[in-house]
Amino acid sequence: MIVTFLRWLQWTDFFSTLRDWLYSYPVILSLHMVAMSVFGGLILVTDLRLLGVGARTYSISDVIDGLRNLKRVGFVFVTTCGVLLFGCKADEYGFNPWFRLKLVFFVLLVIHHWVFRGSVYSNAAALDSAPQIPGRAKLAGGLSLLLWFGVICAGRGIGYLHPSLEHGITDPRPDSTQVMPPVATESLALNRASSAR
Amino acid sequence: MIANPLNSSPLAFPILEVVHIVGFISAVGSAALVDFRLLGFILPRRSPAEIWRATLLWTIVGLTLVVFSGLSLFSSDPDMYYLNPAFDLKIAVMIAAIVFYYTAVRKAVAKAVQTGASRLVAWISLLLWVLVLFGGIFIAFVQSYAPEA
Repeated sequence: MIVTFLRWLQWTDFFSTLRDWLYSYPVILSLHMVAMSVFGGLILVTDLRLLGVGARTYSISDVIDGLRNLKRVGFVFVTTCGVLLFGCKADEYGFNPWFRLKLVFFVLLVIHHWVFRGSVYSNAAALDSAPQIPGRAKLAGGLSLLLWFGVICAGRGIGYLHPSLEHGITDPRPDSTQVMPPVATESLALNRASSAR
Repeated sequence: MIANPLNSSPLAFPILEVVHIVGFISAVGSAALVDFRLLGFILPRRSPAEIWRATLLWTIVGLTLVVFSGLSLFSSDPDMYYLNPAFDLKIAVMIAAIVFYYTAVRKAVAKAVQTGASRLVAWISLLLWVLVLFGGIFIAFVQSYAPEA
C-alpha cells in the first residue's frame, strides 16, 4: 500500500513536470542548503545560548523571542524544499533506510518540542530572571543540537544508498513517455555523480 | 605517487561531508544573521555591531571547519574538482563572499545609522553566500572538462 502511495505521488502531474526539467533537482537541493544554513544557524545560536556558551551578551528571551519569526520562515522554507525533493523520487526515498532514520529524528524533535515547550521555549522571561541557566534549559539546548546533528548525518547518508527497486519503471499515466532513470544521482561527490551522468 | 588515505576508507568522505555541512551552517548561518540585522528583519533593539560581536566566533569556527573539510574533500580527487566549472565558480564566489563580508559588511555594521547603502551591502552579501551553496551542489550535476592528455 505504501508503495502504491509513493508511486502515485511521484507520478502525479506536479512531480512529473518538476522532474522533467533537467536542473530542478539540483536547484531545489541548493535551496534546501540555503534554507538549512539560515534555519540551522538560528538553531545553533539558540541552543548555544541555552547552553550558556554563545551569544551571552544577549538574554535568553532576546534570542528565543527575537529570532522566532525568522526561524519559522526558515523552517517552512527548508521543509518545503525537502518535501519537493522527496516527491520527485518518493519510492526511492521511502525505502531508503537513512531517509527513514531521518524521519525518526524528526519524530524525536517533535517530542522534544512538546516536552520543552512550556518550561523553556515559551518561558524565556523566567529563564532570564533565574540566577543561573536552569538545567532543563541546558538539556533542551544540548538535546536539540544532538538531534539536529542526527538529521544532518541521516540526510547525508541518503545519497549513499540506493535501495534496489525495480527501476526503469514506465510512467503509469496513459499518454506519457517518461521513464524513471535507473539510478538517483544525488551526491555532492562528483566521482560518483559524473559516472552516473 | 602517494595514495591519499582519505580514499582508503569508505567512511572518510561522508564524515568530511558532514563536517563540511556543520561548518557552512555555522559560518553562513551566523553571517546571515548579521545581514538580516542590517536589513532590519531581526532583533531591532540591538545594533548590528552587537550581533557582529556575538556571532564573530561562530563565523570564524564555521569558516575554519568548512575550509579544512573542503580542502580534504578536494584532495580525494583534485583533477575532477578543478576541472569542474561549478567548482571553479564556487571557489571564486566563496573568496568574494568572505572578502566582501570582512570589508563591506564589516564597514556597514560599524555605522551608527543604517542607510539604503547598508541594506544593499546586506543583500549582496546574502546573494554571494547563496551562490556559494548553489555552486557546491552543482559540482555533482555538471560535467567536468576532459583532462588534457
